[in-house]
Amino acid sequence: MELIAVEKPASYPDKERGERLNQQLRDKAKELLERGAVECVIGYERATDGSSARPFFVYQPEEVDRLIFDQTCTHNLVKYLLNKKDKTTAVVVKPCDSRALNLLLNEKQIQRDKVFIVGVVCPGIVETGWNQVSQTLQGRCQRCRQHTPLVYDFLVGEPPAEEAPPAEAYADVAEIEAKPLAERQTFWDEQSKRCIRCYACRQVCPGCYCSECFVEQLQPPWVGIKIAPPENNMWQTIRAFHLAGRCSGCNECERVCPMDIPLSLLNRKLEKEVWELFEFQAGLSAETVPPFATFKKEETLGIGE
Amino acid sequence: MAVGYQPRIVGFLCNWCSYAGADLAGTSRISYPANIRVIRLPCSGRVDPMLIVKSFELGADGVLVSGCHPGECHYLEGNYHARRRFALLRSLLDYLGIEKERFQVEWVSASEGKRFSEVVSSFTGELARLGPRREA
Repeated sequence: MELIAVEKPASYPDKERGERLNQQLRDKAKELLERGAVECVIGYERATDGSSARPFFVYQPEEVDRLIFDQTCTHNLVKYLLNKKDKTTAVVVKPCDSRALNLLLNEKQIQRDKVFIVGVVCPGIVETGWNQVSQTLQGRCQRCRQHTPLVYDFLVGEPPAEEAPPAEAYADVAEIEAKPLAERQTFWDEQSKRCIRCYACRQVCPGCYCSECFVEQLQPPWVGIKIAPPENNMWQTIRAFHLAGRCSGCNECERVCPMDIPLSLLNRKLEKEVWELFEFQAGLSAETVPPFATFKKEETLGIGE
Repeated sequence: MAVGYQPRIVGFLCNWCSYAGADLAGTSRISYPANIRVIRLPCSGRVDPMLIVKSFELGADGVLVSGCHPGECHYLEGNYHARRRFALLRSLLDYLGIEKERFQVEWVSASEGKRFSEVVSSFTGELARLGPRREA
C-alpha cells in the first residue's frame, strides 16, 4: 500500500480501498471470535463525535461491523493487553504499537500464545481532537520509518514495496541540546512548573506496568506529594529514565498530557543516547537483550576516566 | 561565586573498595575537603539513579559515585552495570540543566586512600568553580 496523502484524513483517500481494508479487519475479527480463538478483539471504532476514533473491545461476533482502522486511530492498544493476561486476546497494532508489544513480550509481561496480533499497514496518524480532525500527520508519524508492523499474525493491507526514507528524527532534541545551560534550565523549569502530576503519561504507557510505581512508594518517599517543580522534576526525570531503552516512541504520553508538556523531547533524548551508547533500539524484536541487562567489559562510556 | 561558598557533595561509596579507600585515607591521616557526605552502599551497582536525582532535588551541588575498578567488583559485575546506567543518566541530567561535571563516577580501590582524597579535592574544586546550582 502506498503512503496515504492526508487530504481526507478521516478515512483512506481511496474510499473503496479503505472500506475493503476495514472489511478485511472485520472478517478476521469475526472469524476469530466465531471459532473461539480469542475471547476479545481490541480494536478501534468511531467515537461519538463522528470524526475521531476510540478503543473498542469486541466480545460478540455481531459487533465486528463497528471496527474501523484509519488515520484517526491514534491509541496504542497494547496497553490493554496487560489487563487481559489470562485470556487469549486479539489486538490491532500499528507499527509503533508492535514495538511496544515486542517490549512486553521481551519483558515476559504477556505470552505470545495468548495474543493474536492483527497488524495494520499504517498510513500515518493525523492529529485529532473532539469533533476535530487535522490535515497534518502527527509529529511521531512524520518521523516514522516503519509502515508495516514488526510482528503480526495477520496483516491488514499490503506492505509498501519500499519504506519511505527516514526523516531527521532528532532535530528538536538537538535544538535543546544546543541551548546554553541556563536556557535549558529555564526551558525545563517552565515545563515542570506546568505539570499537574495527573500521571496520565504513566497510565497510558505500555512500558509502565509496575504494580507499585516509585511515585506511590512512601518508604522512602521518592516524590513528595507537593505539586511543585522539585517534585515534578523528580517525577519527570525518573519516569523518562525508567523508560530508557524501553520506550518505543508511540508518544501516547505526550498525546494524553493535559498540560501539553513535550514529553517526547525527554523520551527521544534517551532513545538517541541509548542508540549512541549501546546501539540499541527498543522493541525491534522480542528476543533481544535489553541494554541494561548486559554490558561489555571493554567499554568505558566516558565513566571513571 | 558566593563568598565562602561550600559545595555540598553526596558521595555514594561501595563498601568493598571506595569506602575502604576512604577509610584508608583517614587512617593514613590524608586530609580531604569535608564537603563530601558519604553514604556507604554494598556496591556501585546498588546506586539507583533515583538516589542521584533525589540528591540533586534535595539541594546537592554534586554527586559522587565511587566503586571498585572495572573487573574488581566484589560481586563480579555490579560496576559494569552501574557504568552503563550512569553514562546514560549523566547525559540526561546535562540535558535537563545539571552540568555533567556535577555528577562524577570514579573507580577507587581499597588501597587508593591517596587517590580518594585527590578525587574529593578536585571534585570540590570543580564545584566551587561552577558555583551554586541555580534553584529551580
